[in-house]
Amino acid sequence: MQTDAPLAIGPLRLTVDPVRAMAYAREIGADDGRVPLAYPAVWLSEPALSKVVSDVCETLAVVPVHESQAFAYERSLTAGESYDVTVTLRREETPPRLIADALITTTDGAPVGRIETMLRLVPRAAFEKGAEAPESTTGEAS
Amino acid sequence: MSALAAVGDKLPETIIGPFDAPALARYAEVSGDANPLHLDDALAAGVGFAAPPVHGMKMLAAFEPMLANWRSDLAIVNLSGKFVQPILRGEKITLSGRVLRASDTEVFVRLFAHGSARLPGVIGEATLRPRSAGPEA
Repeated sequence: MQTDAPLAIGPLRLTVDPVRAMAYAREIGADDGRVPLAYPAVWLSEPALSKVVSDVCETLAVVPVHESQAFAYERSLTAGESYDVTVTLRREETPPRLIADALITTTDGAPVGRIETMLRLVPRAAFEKGAEAPESTTGEAS
Repeated sequence: MSALAAVGDKLPETIIGPFDAPALARYAEVSGDANPLHLDDALAAGVGFAAPPVHGMKMLAAFEPMLANWRSDLAIVNLSGKFVQPILRGEKITLSGRVLRASDTEVFVRLFAHGSARLPGVIGEATLRPRSAGPEA
């Protein structure tokens, strides 16, 4: 993927699995019965998205380090509801990053929210056994 | 109308963890974040960590119940965080926050997650509005 050519993925039709949403809520200490606003983090593991990220990292011989995450909502997610998620992946060179911007809408197109996931791309050699912790692992490897 | 909160107000601190290996494994399974760095002691040691780091998203997400406990009348419309440095398995994690801006329609807070190190592991921010003002369900 060229740094000047963002890649669009989707829209992907994704559902808030009620069981998984409540399990996620338990793991973050929430007990109010609402879908956690960080729940779309689970969508990062969707093969249609994770495969592209892993392919980019494989090509560049880098490890993605989760550097930052942002959620912005116009309306809350509802358990059991399906949403259309369109992701734009873009690269930055300095420092090397892969940024995923996701737009969430209802299935009839009404805006729900936006998510930004910023991954720092760290040379794989920095993670090889015996290496010192690279400065960029101040984030979390994805 | 008066502001929803006072600038400078501190949010009540919340302690989460310390998380053990099964807790990190559960989060990995539920979230789909299968990165072995969070689960594999040898891999973590290989890059210089004394223990696997806690998932940054697990800590960022934990600000939501903290904020709800602070002000249940407000809904979070924005939540973001930068993962500044790892907080390792077994560390007690302190979530804290402070009101930076407030009006009669919106409150903006700075958030921190600290482990045992002086510097925070996560620096976040959130915007909250009265539940009647959204985000709507």
